[in-house]
Amino acid sequence: MLKRLDRADLEKLLAALATGYRLLTPQRLADGTRLHRPHGEGALALQGEPVQRKPTEAFFPQHDPLLRIGEQGEVTTCDPPDRPVALFGLNAADLACIAFIDRFFADPPADDHYLARRKDALLVGLTGFAGPGGDFLPPANGMCDLELLALGQNWLGVPWTPRGEALLEGFPDGEQAEVEELQETARTRGNPAQDLLEKAAGLVASEVVPDDFWREIGDRCILCSGCNLACPTCTCFCVEDRQEQAATLRSRVWDSCQFDAFMREASGHNPLGTEALRTRRRIHHKLAADVTRWGEFGCLLCGRCDRVCPTGIGIQAVAAEILARFGA
Amino acid sequence: MQPRPCPNQPPSVYAPRPCRLLSVTDLTPQEKLFRLQLHDGEELGHLPGQFVQVSVPGLTEAPISVASSPDRHGAFDLGVRRAGRLTTALHALRPGALLGIRGPFGRPFQLDALAGKDLLLIAGGCGLAPLRSLLQYCEDHRDRFGVLHLLYGARSPADLMFKEDLQEWQQGECFDCRVTVDQVPATGCYDGATGLVTGLLGDLDLMPHRTVAVLVGPPPMYRPLLEVLERKGIAKTSIMLSLERMMRCGIGKCGHCSIEHLLCCQDGPVFWLPEIEYLRGAL
Repeated sequence: MLKRLDRADLEKLLAALATGYRLLTPQRLADGTRLHRPHGEGALALQGEPVQRKPTEAFFPQHDPLLRIGEQGEVTTCDPPDRPVALFGLNAADLACIAFIDRFFADPPADDHYLARRKDALLVGLTGFAGPGGDFLPPANGMCDLELLALGQNWLGVPWTPRGEALLEGFPDGEQAEVEELQETARTRGNPAQDLLEKAAGLVASEVVPDDFWREIGDRCILCSGCNLACPTCTCFCVEDRQEQAATLRSRVWDSCQFDAFMREASGHNPLGTEALRTRRRIHHKLAADVTRWGEFGCLLCGRCDRVCPTGIGIQAVAAEILARFGA
Repeated sequence: MQPRPCPNQPPSVYAPRPCRLLSVTDLTPQEKLFRLQLHDGEELGHLPGQFVQVSVPGLTEAPISVASSPDRHGAFDLGVRRAGRLTTALHALRPGALLGIRGPFGRPFQLDALAGKDLLLIAGGCGLAPLRSLLQYCEDHRDRFGVLHLLYGARSPADLMFKEDLQEWQQGECFDCRVTVDQVPATGCYDGATGLVTGLLGDLDLMPHRTVAVLVGPPPMYRPLLEVLERKGIAKTSIMLSLERMMRCGIGKCGHCSIEHLLCCQDGPVFWLPEIEYLRGAL
């Protein structure tokens, strides 16, 4: 079932989504960047760079209350909001990141807190000519309930789940040939960034990158942790307690493996205690360790760490440098 | 041996179960032994080598190894060193206090692989606490094992944990138990062995082909010990280690205990040496 939506149809679809879900749509901020905000708070921004903050925060927020502990030790879990989230306007990389952390949190023992927030959520992909200035974004080919392939003023609606199918019901049919044309465009353009990552990953995994290199990257790092906090597949967290009258609110809060105390043990021993090990972990984890554990890279090339890093050592920049210096 | 399932499942993997503190015993000036019982009367359901997350409202949680065998029914022990805010608060608790427990977590000592073998059980410092769960299990199932060597090293005589247990193990027939301390203060009254725990291996008569070594101690202990074990002819595949890491969630999600692709709280804390020796930062 393929549908073709014009602007009025799109508004109709959004209105339908807003009735059943807490709908978040991409909206432009004053500085030109985009952010997922409650639908209707600002104007829709259907084209542009990926949203500034990681989309996974809809299910794994920076500060995430887990439970309350009463005076007698009784525990009350923090339930998910009544209305599930509909996250609209995700590109293929962001959808892949959500799929990555879905699997991570579902892996036994499953994180019931995450799964409860994710369970009824709806994902809407927005690909095709929806990049900055109408640039082409490769189709996601799944990983969402419903994908909209942008064609300038119109969108092709592709359902990937029964919920997506129900939402597209009633809209006019689309032409399969148009989808195939977009698929062909994606094939022709290829994915040079993926090629770069794969080559660099091979060098990282085979340990040809010396500690001197990692130390040098460490020296260039200002320890802001922006790479981790912007990364949709970074899921590390610490736990904090806050007193709320008689109860204690226990929450998880994003953490960063780039901080000195991240792995420091009570004894003082720190397994990541050198600049080389600390910096190597950030890259090695995504390009080698995740491949061993999960069978795929932990970097899905969303580009956020490269955009936010003030010193130019995001993962794609480091991968390019590894390839240039050790790839001969 | 299989863990006993817990019939009263908590409402979330992050929800601590209320637990009653039965007794507190001084082990050393820095360490105390806490005997606990789940408030609902259930067994903890652990296996030797596993750990729990101890929850103190207001101070979050800390990973602590269980220091007693699952066969010592009715309660379980935790040996806790005072090292930070949470453990300081624990040390101030009195019997009757309520606290929270999550777990047990992690991969235990591989009892099947130890059965029928001579065991070389080596602990350093407060590593004796997690090892004690296996030592008690060996005592309770003595016929399942061959010769049991127990080597324990601490910094000073005052730092020796479980002194009463050590005395029993030294005097009893279950273990060939040897103890050493790094230093003896000038004013100290101690007539035991001195030197590093590696020194206790020197004149030990081992049958390498039928020996499994189990190591639990502070990170600096492992490499020197592994060198000596290699010289003694113990195969790497017959060496089991329990690693200390800063586990925060216990379920492999928070990332704090990762060793490259492994998660110490789920894939460990007990590992066979070949599983980790090639990983950066593991040892």
